[in-house]
Amino acid sequence: MNQGNGQKVGAVLVVGGGVGGMQASLDLAEAGYKVYLVERGPSIGGVMAQLDKTFPTNDCAMCTLAPRMVDCGGHLNIEKLTYSEIESIEGTAGNFSVRIRKKARSVDPDKCTGCGECVEHCLVKNIVYLDQPGRAPVQIEESVRTKADRIIGRYDGDRETVVPILQDITDEFNWLPPDVLMRVSQEKQIPLEHILRIATFYKAFSLKPRGKHIVTVCMGTACHVKGAPRIMDRLERELGIKTGETTSDMRFTLESVRCIGCCGLSPVITIGDDLYGKVNPVEAAAILDKYQD
Amino acid sequence: MEPYRTHVMLCAGTGCVSNGSFRIKETLERELKKHNLQNEVAVVMTGCNGFCAQGPVMVVKPDDIFYQLLTDDDITHLVEEHFLKGRPVQKLMYTPPAEELPVPKMSDIGFFNKQRLIALRNRGMIDPEQIDEYIARDGYTALAKALNEMTPEQVIEEIKLSGLRGRGGAGFPTGRKWELARAAKGETKHIVCNADEGDPGAFMDRSIIESDPHSVLEGMIIGARAIGASYGHVYIRNEYPLARERLIKAIKQATDYGLLGKDIFGTGFDLDVSIHRGAGAFVCGEETSLIASLEGRAPEPRIRPPFPVESGIWDAPTNINNVETWANVPDIINRGAKWFSAIGTETSKGTKVFSVVGKVKNTGLVEVPMGITLREIVYDIGGGIPGDKEFKAVQTGGPSGGCIPQSLLDLPIDYEKLAEVGSIMGSGGLIVMDEDTCMVDVARYFLEFLKDESCGKCTACREGIDVMHGILVRICEGNGKEGDIEMLEELSEAVKDSSLCALGRTAPNPVISTIRYFRDEYEAHINDKSCPAGVCKALITYVINEEKCKGCRLCAKNCPQEAITGEVKMPHTIEQDKCIKCGVCFDVCKFDAVSVT
Amino acid sequence: MPKIKPEDLKKIREQMSRTMSLRDGDARAKITVHMGTCGIAAGARTIMSTLLALTEEEQAKDIILTASGCAGLCSREPMITVELKGQAPVKYVELDEEKTKKIFSDHVLSGTVVEEYALAMGSERLG
Repeated sequence: MNQGNGQKVGAVLVVGGGVGGMQASLDLAEAGYKVYLVERGPSIGGVMAQLDKTFPTNDCAMCTLAPRMVDCGGHLNIEKLTYSEIESIEGTAGNFSVRIRKKARSVDPDKCTGCGECVEHCLVKNIVYLDQPGRAPVQIEESVRTKADRIIGRYDGDRETVVPILQDITDEFNWLPPDVLMRVSQEKQIPLEHILRIATFYKAFSLKPRGKHIVTVCMGTACHVKGAPRIMDRLERELGIKTGETTSDMRFTLESVRCIGCCGLSPVITIGDDLYGKVNPVEAAAILDKYQD
Repeated sequence: MEPYRTHVMLCAGTGCVSNGSFRIKETLERELKKHNLQNEVAVVMTGCNGFCAQGPVMVVKPDDIFYQLLTDDDITHLVEEHFLKGRPVQKLMYTPPAEELPVPKMSDIGFFNKQRLIALRNRGMIDPEQIDEYIARDGYTALAKALNEMTPEQVIEEIKLSGLRGRGGAGFPTGRKWELARAAKGETKHIVCNADEGDPGAFMDRSIIESDPHSVLEGMIIGARAIGASYGHVYIRNEYPLARERLIKAIKQATDYGLLGKDIFGTGFDLDVSIHRGAGAFVCGEETSLIASLEGRAPEPRIRPPFPVESGIWDAPTNINNVETWANVPDIINRGAKWFSAIGTETSKGTKVFSVVGKVKNTGLVEVPMGITLREIVYDIGGGIPGDKEFKAVQTGGPSGGCIPQSLLDLPIDYEKLAEVGSIMGSGGLIVMDEDTCMVDVARYFLEFLKDESCGKCTACREGIDVMHGILVRICEGNGKEGDIEMLEELSEAVKDSSLCALGRTAPNPVISTIRYFRDEYEAHINDKSCPAGVCKALITYVINEEKCKGCRLCAKNCPQEAITGEVKMPHTIEQDKCIKCGVCFDVCKFDAVSVT
Repeated sequence: MPKIKPEDLKKIREQMSRTMSLRDGDARAKITVHMGTCGIAAGARTIMSTLLALTEEEQAKDIILTASGCAGLCSREPMITVELKGQAPVKYVELDEEKTKKIFSDHVLSGTVVEEYALAMGSERLG
């Protein structure tokens, strides 16, 4: 973009609509350049959209990403070429000409509001995401795959099988290992994004490995008024972890649950399948000793 | 003269005298004489011993046996039995109410005699895993009647006449819903039993399925036949493994008997029932989210209409009822709408199951006629508040409900009355709170729950609840500001008005009702930076009462901060700057020496 | 299992009423252990296995031991109901192994109600 050279044009092509590409496009567009933003996927956003937090500041990924997506989406100086790939680039610095193949999507992007109704109602399996070239085949250990396949084989059907399959995986592995989820996606021909959406919606699923013993403090109303928060405090101190975390030796995971329906015995904690009623913080801590194996 | 072997201390206080203790004395002396015991047993008139309610009373020394409410006739018997034969008379002894001695009848115990069982009719009576036991208690006769002797229209009419309303909370008339579902166009229709009992503090659905799964199934089969549905679904909470297990068994047994499956009772009517396990999302109790969850979509509610009765599972007409509603159906068919509608109030018929929990002596599950007062539930059935604590409020309706203060204890319970005072019937959780419960903390608790459980679809619910929760946390931490209460009220209105489903629309109820009845507590938190109930950590201090402390060192040993100092056998003190207010000292103290201020 | 017809319901009812009510049956006593989630949490399984062991030990063939759901008074679990032939059922609360043994020997075998553990006699009002 050597401005001094009269032959050169004041437009920039940015390849890749991830967070980096978007920020670059925005900075350039703000500086007055016309920007062409090319993205292979159907939408800008990139990998960051799939992340919860970012390293090292633990900032919320969406909070970083969303404003940039909105700005990019609405910026008059940025022309978005999504679902497009570069075929060839010719020329030299300052004067390139680029051939871009825009894939058919049968959606008018100017009118689309991103409501997602078409995805919901599509009769054809949305397998685009699965067949992305370049995505490595699922690496999965033989024994794990056998287990996963046995679970998947139990359910015949489409998306309505996702919840039961995830439940069985949780029963088997105590959490939802990513390779197993990819296997489910592949075998059931259901986009991983949808599986993750379900997996993150429900409380019963964990995307993090959980400990051998899952300690659950009931936080139902009856337990709350009878001092459940103080039991939780005590257990957090005892185990040295916060709610939702697992001890470093992978022995205990501490969780809370919204009522297990044992209000007559409140306050209640459960460890694995064992239920303890009418406990006070001191007793609760003592119960942990039974599970030191 | 020989010393007396026994002294009878007969009360001659005002109370007992007015109850005839002098007459008792005469009779006693006469009877003793008759048995020639006058030289062995001395009758002594004493002063009042304070137990005037049970007068006339007497104490037999040296055995220290306490007799009460004596009459002349008792004396004859007493002298013969006790003084002659040496056998104390049990039935005249005083039994403290806490110890049930001798064994009272169930009908004499408040907890049981105020109850009327319809949905819970078989609880504790049958083995839930044996279909034959259910049949032995008239199980499946209602089904036989509904299938063979009644037309679907008649069944719906009967349910309509009975006045049965949805027991899941909103109270929509069940018969009307069935009628709409029957009228809806669609080749296949579905019925759903909503057992996703998400309200914290309510567990009647679990209990009904655990103790009598067939009653729910029978209700569902009758309903399916009336509506014309051929698929049944039970959506059951993940946290209820035992209930699920029993229901699976029940479905198997019913299918083996031909009560489910093809050609039920040879009428050509088919019904398959499948079980779906929830995965811990409160919003799934909402009809449209439940359907989305069944279909494997993200369980977010959608706008109604179309209502599920027109377009539900896979766009087919779907009738959803709660567990308790289904369990009521067989008895209504068996005993008739007239019988059912005679129970309850003008607008709310039949009974309701409540889980009475929290700060109450008898916690448990009770089924009572509609129109019973809160006082009866809390005091007669619940046995009142444990310890010498003061009653403060009852919370009904779970996170969508509100807190009802002491002044409204005589409120007869039905759908409308509860709504009038700012609460709802809900699924029937009834949490009793005493003076040690902080109402601001309760509001904060419910909003924390709702903040986590909001599906995030509607901005007002997602963001509004979060902001309200933030304000309440601030108030509980002692950082409340002037104007916070007004801000909460304003946000409540906004969230209520602009949310799609009942979760958001009722979410502010706990806040509104606590502000309405317990504004002073909010003000104490904000203005005086104090928590009157001693709950909010930031606003309380633990102190050791020097007079009560025996210096046992137990609290010091348990204190995680080593904040308690003091010599053995000397009163201890808490160093406030080290204290993290974990309350361990309070829990472990055997002498009640630790108090919260 | 064969499919049943409406008229079979009556047959099953009659058959079952023998074992259920103790009226016409050979059984002398029926012990119901209330095994809902709360009951089990409070220790109903131990009570059940204790009772099983006791009936085995005594070779008591005329005692029916059965499980049932929650009796509603969760704060006093574990509970059992003991019904002797011709007598009102008695509910026992807050049991442990020792208490269960005493109830078994005193009430079930010898017919004396163990008053100190008993809650109540009879049953609630239906409908």
